[in-house]
Amino acid sequence: MTGLLSRRPDSGLGNIKASPADPSRNIDWVLLTAQMLLTVIGCFIVFSTSRTRIDVDPYAFVTRQTIFAIIAFFVMGAVMATDYEFWKDRARSLYTLTILSLVFLFLLGVASGEDRISYDLGPINVQPAELAKFTTLLMLATYLAEERSDEVSYARFLGGLIIVGVPATLVIIQPDLGSASVIVSIAMGVLLVAGAKIRYIFAISALSIATVAAAFVGRLVNSYQIARLNALLNPDSVGLDETYQADNAMRALGTGGVWGKGWLEGPLTNDGDIPVMWADFPFAAVGEQFGLVGCAVVLLLIAVVLIRIWRIAHLSRDLLGTYLCAGVFVMLLWQTFQNVGMTLQIMPVTGLPLPFISYGGSGLIVYFAMFGLVQSVHMRRMR
Amino acid sequence: MAVDKRATRLGVLAVVGAILFGTVGVRLWFLQTVEAEALQVEVEETKRRTVPLLPERGRIFDAEGRILADNERVLTVAVDWEVLRRDSTRSEIFTRLSGWVGVPVEEMEARYADPATFSPFLPMPVAEDVDERTASAIRERVEDLPGVEIIEQWRRVYPYAPLASHVVGYMGAITAETKDEYLDRGYYLNERVGQFGIELSMEEHLHGKWGYVTYEVDKFSRIVREIERVPAVNGRDVQLTIDLDQQQYAEQALETQLKLRREAVARNGLDPETNFTERFFPEYPEEVPFKAPAGAVVVKNWENGHVVALASYPTYDNRWFESGLSGAEFEEVFDATDLSRIERDEDGEIIPESLVVDPDRSTLVNRAIQGRYNLGSTFKPFPAYAALQVGFLGVDDVYEDTGTYRMDSVDEFKCETGLVRCVFRNATCSGTGRPCVYGSVDVNTALAVSSDAFFYRIGERLMTEYDYQPILQQEVEKFGFGADTGIELPFEFDGTVPDAELKARYAELGVISEAEGEDYFTGDNVQLAIGQGLLSASPLQLAVGYSSIASGGFVMKPEIIKAIYEPGVPDADRVGFADISRARFAEEPNVRGELVRQIPMSAAIREEITSGLRRVITGPGTTSDYYHRTTGENLFYYYPESAIPIAGKTGTAQGANNYPWNDSSAFAAFSVDPERPYTASAYLEKAGYGSQGAAPVVKCIFLQLSGIQDADPVSLSDPLDTDNLIPAEPKELADTSCYNGRFSAVRGTE
Repeated sequence: MTGLLSRRPDSGLGNIKASPADPSRNIDWVLLTAQMLLTVIGCFIVFSTSRTRIDVDPYAFVTRQTIFAIIAFFVMGAVMATDYEFWKDRARSLYTLTILSLVFLFLLGVASGEDRISYDLGPINVQPAELAKFTTLLMLATYLAEERSDEVSYARFLGGLIIVGVPATLVIIQPDLGSASVIVSIAMGVLLVAGAKIRYIFAISALSIATVAAAFVGRLVNSYQIARLNALLNPDSVGLDETYQADNAMRALGTGGVWGKGWLEGPLTNDGDIPVMWADFPFAAVGEQFGLVGCAVVLLLIAVVLIRIWRIAHLSRDLLGTYLCAGVFVMLLWQTFQNVGMTLQIMPVTGLPLPFISYGGSGLIVYFAMFGLVQSVHMRRMR
Repeated sequence: MAVDKRATRLGVLAVVGAILFGTVGVRLWFLQTVEAEALQVEVEETKRRTVPLLPERGRIFDAEGRILADNERVLTVAVDWEVLRRDSTRSEIFTRLSGWVGVPVEEMEARYADPATFSPFLPMPVAEDVDERTASAIRERVEDLPGVEIIEQWRRVYPYAPLASHVVGYMGAITAETKDEYLDRGYYLNERVGQFGIELSMEEHLHGKWGYVTYEVDKFSRIVREIERVPAVNGRDVQLTIDLDQQQYAEQALETQLKLRREAVARNGLDPETNFTERFFPEYPEEVPFKAPAGAVVVKNWENGHVVALASYPTYDNRWFESGLSGAEFEEVFDATDLSRIERDEDGEIIPESLVVDPDRSTLVNRAIQGRYNLGSTFKPFPAYAALQVGFLGVDDVYEDTGTYRMDSVDEFKCETGLVRCVFRNATCSGTGRPCVYGSVDVNTALAVSSDAFFYRIGERLMTEYDYQPILQQEVEKFGFGADTGIELPFEFDGTVPDAELKARYAELGVISEAEGEDYFTGDNVQLAIGQGLLSASPLQLAVGYSSIASGGFVMKPEIIKAIYEPGVPDADRVGFADISRARFAEEPNVRGELVRQIPMSAAIREEITSGLRRVITGPGTTSDYYHRTTGENLFYYYPESAIPIAGKTGTAQGANNYPWNDSSAFAAFSVDPERPYTASAYLEKAGYGSQGAAPVVKCIFLQLSGIQDADPVSLSDPLDTDNLIPAEPKELADTSCYNGRFSAVRGTE
């Protein structure tokens, strides 16, 4: 276990030309391996959930997911090769660019009279909200790291809130509540580690929880509004009974039992009883086909990834690196908990995908880019 | 120390993470071990059932908003296929249901054994049109009758039937030939679809779109909750240009006149060639009654092309198609055997070979658009236009009509030997028994008295003097002959304008001899110029042609659709009417009509043709050997000044063997008053001269349009008498005085 958590930095063998501090010798292979395993498992799950749902080619979704993964891998490589200090000077301009693109998208939406969450550029569509996750983290971490103290002042805390609040608000009105909650979770992680007073954190937490609670209460009081909220969060499932999808997802997961029904043997997964399963409920597919054991493996891999990121946050040579890792850590933790939680019916249904497992190109690329940042912090920790 | 504090805070994150993972882990373990079995049971009991939601078919209105086609809600008892597949439960359910719905078990089994007619996606219908009481009784016993349900369906009703039945059309089951196409368009096999008339041509608008609702059901097929609902989109309502007042009048006038013509006789006169010793057709008696079996009438607006009335006889009642007749009864209603040919053996039994189908008696044909008719002299205005337009003829050019026309472009030798028919005669004048001699005639007079010789010459010269190019064909085709008019009704006849290509095709089909089919001869053109030979057109095409003259060269597409409305035009307070004022257009209506093409027509040419046609109605004729009246002069003698002033032309198309009793009667006329821009054409098969059969019908129609002749008020029809197996109740024109002219016996030339 100690080996897993820490590796002596000078344990590189053989290559006398490179110093132990050479970044290329300090890649966190455990993190990388766990991450790649999760991605591969994700492709299998996407195939099993989508193959009977598509008329033409059962491999259509998994093929695209694989291509996304390869693209994401190269993006990660590029981010890894860059010193994370590089982003420090560019954080402001990147952040400004993000805000501008969000505002422009909003104006475009107002002009066309319909909700817009992406720029449609022919074959691909770009979601500025995904970009916002990355740039807001950079901006916030950079801004807080400028304090060079282990405890942020009240003024800087307020500044941080504004940095997060602007893109979060713009994303909420898109409306994409899922992405907004991710941005807020990133901010909470970074602010906490940066030393914001616990009561500040509690204040934001209370606000967030109040919102979630309102949704819960609303569900009990007025299912129509919940359906609307659900439709808002997850446009693909509009028109469906909002509890139907979640109920069947839980049934699929539960009926998997300890050992699961076997690869491609899950009846609910095969019959498409859970609409948009490949994006919303891939964890139910894991549960039905591979049982408790399979779920444990996936959760364990995510846990390994979290632990490695947590460790890198520790090892970082400066505050910026720590903050960046903390942001990624909370983002991954929140999104995993939210998605798995809604499959287990301990969280309300939202459209947040399960990292690495759910189908979706932009989410995958953003995660790989963020992991590139984390690796970059690890690789350059000894300089 | 900074790092320590940082570590503490990172520790908080780790703790939060551990708590969340712990929560997930516990819940996961609980679900997949403790709950697994219960959930498995739940899954097995959970089934989904999708119930299609039927769209209501769009309605059909007349121009005034009368509801020509409506829907009536009917309740159908149906059983889920899943349940029927098990033999034991099937027989049990059938036995239980049989008493309730009054359908024998054998019939239900027969339906089950022939599933090809029913959609596998809809429950199998067991009994249609059950009453409300039976339906609620069955609903109350759902527990005893698993899989049985009451489905609401629509039945088509035609409140004014049989009026306008040929236009409105009828519905029927999806046939084997159309099955694939309809299934592709999202139809279910059980559905009834348009088969004829507007019901067919507007099917796409009228049908609407199916919706569906998906339920989660438990193992007793009881609905637990609704999962998804996509509502049905009802069909659009269609309003026709047909005005039922005019339509009823036209149908009455046509039917009554045909029946009157059956009482009239054709004279088989003495042939002057035999010095009046023998009759023209020696094997027939002196007088032969007309058969007058069928006919059609078109009334339209020549300005915008709107069709006001479109009548065809024999007609039928479209409610027969919704009455659930058995096959044998249906055959009896729509029987079209030739009654005159039926022979019986000694025992009085009908000899089957003598049962011959008689096309004259076919009812499911809209003769107004499907009739393949020789137009006879009603065609003459078009060759007249051709001759004037190409400059062959001036408006004042005079020709000496001697009663016969001899072609001068053909070799004398061929004429003498009879190799080619070179001599063409005018129609026989009853005064002399010989071809009429009209003397000096110009275009105007030639149209007024219907001089054949004048047009024979046009037929020949338009070929010989123009390099044997199809000049005449090109000119008359501008008026729409030889091509369908594009009216929104199915099965429209294209019509034919004879040329070398058509003759070759006919020869191949065996319609004409091979020698005849070799080429298009000058003689063919001579025949074409008086509307005989291989020329054929529908009464609608004739009306479109006359309308184009009336408007000075604007060929308008005949329009039968006035407007298409969004679903759900409400009923008006007045029974049988829809409230059009509260309707919303689904498509912007084209009130000004659609111009097909504009024909070059100078005012002088239009005036010359119109005044010639006007003289047909008003006279005077021309004097040669004696005074020859125009063909309509007597009939329209008492036509009042206040009535719509019209210009028209009679026509008599020779029938089989040139027997006079096979002559078909044609007449077309248009209003010269642009305030009341109507055109009417009538065609009465085997009913005699144009002035005897068709012209009186058109005259009555114009008097009615003028408001001079009273029309019966249109009323909702009585229920269909299903004991009386006739295609449609007979109609009668209340006041037949408008048929009469100056003398009781109408003048005896075409």
